[in-house]
Amino acid sequence: MTSEESINLLAVVIDTNPIAWATAAQDSRCPLDFGRVLEQLLIFINAHLALRFDNELVVIASHTNQSLFLYPPQLSDTDQPPDASSKPANTYKQFFDVNQAVIKTLKDLITESKSPEDVDDKSMLAGSLSLAQTYINRIRRANDPTPLQSRILILSVSPDLPSQYVATMNCIFAAQRVGTRIDVCRFRGKHYGEESVFLPQACHLTGGLYMEIPEAENLLQYLLYAFLPDPYMRSVLCLPEKDQVDFRAACFCHKTVVDVGYVCSVCLSIFCSVSKQCPTCQTQFGGQ
Amino acid sequence: MSHTLKPPKRKSSAKGIGAIDIDDDEGHDLMGASGQGYSWEEEYKRSWDILQEDEQGSLQGVVASIQQQLKRRRLHRDTATVQRGIIRHLYLVIDLSRAMAELDLKPSRIECTMRLAEEFIGEYFDQNPLSQLGIIITRDGLAEQLTELTGNPTDHTSALQKRSNREPKGEPSLQNALELARTSLAHVPSHGSREILVLYASLTTCDPDNILDTLESLKRECIRVSMVGLSAEVQVCRTICRETKGTYNVVLNEMHYKDILFENIPPPVATAQRTASLIQMGFPTTRTYEEPTLCACHHKLIRKGYVCPRCSSTVCEIPTDCPVCSLTLVSSPLLARSYHHLFPVENYKEIGWAGVLSTMPKHCFSCLVPFHGPPQSMSHRRLSTAGNTGGGTAIGIGSGRFECPKCKEQFCLECDAYVHDVLHNCPGCVNR
Repeated sequence: MTSEESINLLAVVIDTNPIAWATAAQDSRCPLDFGRVLEQLLIFINAHLALRFDNELVVIASHTNQSLFLYPPQLSDTDQPPDASSKPANTYKQFFDVNQAVIKTLKDLITESKSPEDVDDKSMLAGSLSLAQTYINRIRRANDPTPLQSRILILSVSPDLPSQYVATMNCIFAAQRVGTRIDVCRFRGKHYGEESVFLPQACHLTGGLYMEIPEAENLLQYLLYAFLPDPYMRSVLCLPEKDQVDFRAACFCHKTVVDVGYVCSVCLSIFCSVSKQCPTCQTQFGGQ
Repeated sequence: MSHTLKPPKRKSSAKGIGAIDIDDDEGHDLMGASGQGYSWEEEYKRSWDILQEDEQGSLQGVVASIQQQLKRRRLHRDTATVQRGIIRHLYLVIDLSRAMAELDLKPSRIECTMRLAEEFIGEYFDQNPLSQLGIIITRDGLAEQLTELTGNPTDHTSALQKRSNREPKGEPSLQNALELARTSLAHVPSHGSREILVLYASLTTCDPDNILDTLESLKRECIRVSMVGLSAEVQVCRTICRETKGTYNVVLNEMHYKDILFENIPPPVATAQRTASLIQMGFPTTRTYEEPTLCACHHKLIRKGYVCPRCSSTVCEIPTDCPVCSLTLVSSPLLARSYHHLFPVENYKEIGWAGVLSTMPKHCFSCLVPFHGPPQSMSHRRLSTAGNTGGGTAIGIGSGRFECPKCKEQFCLECDAYVHDVLHNCPGCVNR
C-alpha cells in the first residue's frame, strides 16, 4: 500500500489554555506569542492542504473547560458564509476558508471565555483527543475502502493533568489500534512548560514524533521539516528522537517511581510495599 | 471405553438432522433467507427476499435499516462496576475431529474456526494485556498441547497457521482435552482466573473414563469452562458449562459464531472463591545497546531491549516473565490498558423520533456528522424502539441519536459503537 493511494488526514489539537500561554508570554528570555504561533501554524496547515488536493484536515482547540472544533466549522453556526466578493481574488479558496474559520472560532472562544478568576489552569487534552479520534473514525468509514493515513499533531504548553491519565491513555491505545500517529510539538522554555509525562508516551506508543521547541520564532521551520512529511517520507528522514521514554510507574501510596512494585490483582493499583489490605479497593489479600 | 453422548436436542426446526441431505434436492421449502437460522438447516440463501420496497418504491430505507440493525446488535453491554478477573489464564481447546471438516459454515468449519481463533487471540491480548493463553487441540481420541500458557500472541497464531495443525481427523476426546488443560492450569497462581474455552464441532466424544469425574475435579479447582458448539446442543457440554459457571452457545452462522466467540474476550466477573493478592511486578527500563546483544528470552541479537530491574537480564519484549528470575515484567501503559474494564463507559440511550426536539443539536457531538431530519411521513414507518427486530420486513430507521446518560450529549451510531468498542472514553464526559 503506497502512500499515493491513501488519503491523508491531519488532526491538529491546539492547546489554548490562556493561563499557560500568558505565563509563557511573560518569559523574559524568549517570550512565546500566541499570535505568532498561530500565524506559523496556519502556514503549516495551508502547506498540508497544498500537498495534495484530497488532504483532509481537522483543527480542534483544547480549552480550559471544553474542546471545540475550529475546522470544519460547526453546522449550528447560523451566520451566513461570507459572500464571494469579500474573498481576496488572489487566495486559494480552501486556504482562505480554513484560515477564516480557525481565526473566527478562536476569537469567539476567547471572547466568550470566563473572567480570569474562574478559569482553572487545565487543558482538555483527553477530550480533544477523543474528539479527534471519533472524527478520524468517521472520515475513515466515509472513505472506506480507500485507506486513510491519519495523524494527530498536538501543540501543547500546559502541564499534564493527572486526573486525565486514564482517559488520555485510552485515547493513545485507540490511536495505536487504528495506526494513527500522535506527534507532539511542545513549547518549553526555562520558566514555563514543565516536562510532560503523558505526551512522550503517546508518541512512543503510536510511533509519532515528540519535539520540544525552545524558540517559538522558528516554529514554522520545525513544523515544515519535521511534522509535515507523511509517515512514508519520515522513514527516510533523519529526525530527532526522544532517546529514553520512562515507562516506570509511580506507586499510589507515596508517588515515588518504583522499579519493582506490588500490584493489586483486583484493581491493578501499584504499591511500593506489601500490605494486608488494598487501600484503593479495600480487598483483603489472602495467602501469598 | 468409548461412549456416545446423548443425542443432540433439536432446536425449533421443521426437519430432523438426517433429513437434510435428502431435502437438498427438492428445494421447495425455502427458509433462512435472513441468515438467522442454523446454517446446517439452510438450503438456499435468498438474500433478496428481505428487501422490500417502501411506498415510493425505494430500497434506500430498507438497506439503511438493515445496516443499522447489524450495528446495533453488538451495542448493549454490561457497564456495571463489578470486580473482574483481570489477570486471566485461558486454554483454548479446538476440536479437530472429522466433524470439523463439514462445510456448513463457509468455507468450511475448520477454516472458519481457525480464522476466528486467530482474530480471537489478537483481540484477547489487546484487551487482556496481563493475561496468558494456551492452545490445545483434540483429534484421533487424543489431546495435544500446541502452545504453553504464554502472553505472546505471535506464538499462538503461528502455531495455528501450521498446516499439520489444521487437518481434521478421527474422533475428538473432550475428556482428554479438559484433563490436559486442567493439569496445565493447576500451577497457576491463585489470583489469576482459570478458564477453558472449547470450540466443539462434534456431537460425540471418545473418552477413556467417566467425564463426570473430570467435571468434579474442574469444579473443585474453580476452572470455568465455556463452550461454543458448532453443530447442535449436546447435553454433556451444557452440563459442564452450567456446573462450572461458564457459558454454552451453539452457533447459527458465521457472524453469530464470531459474536459468541468474542463474548469471551472481556474479562469475566470475578467469582468469590478467588483470592486476591499483591503480585510483585517489575517495571523494566528500556536500553539501547551500541553493539547487538543477546536477549535472555529468545537468544536473538537485539539492539534495543528491556532490562529486568531485579537480575539485570535483557529481554526483547514485555509483558513477559523474566526468564532468569521469573519476575513479571510489565510497563505502566500495559496496566493502564486494562483500566477500561474497571471503568466502563455507560451505554448510550437511543432517542426515538418522539423525543427529538427542534432545539437539539443538529450534528453528532464528537464527529460533527449531521443527524438526518425526521422522515416526511411518519405513518408508513414504524417508530424505532430498542426492541424492534425487523424479522425480514422493512422497519423504520431510528433517529440515529444516542444520548450519554451522564453528559447528555448526543452521538451518532458510528460514534456510539466506536466509543464503546475502541475508545472507552465518552467524548462528552471527558470534556467537562
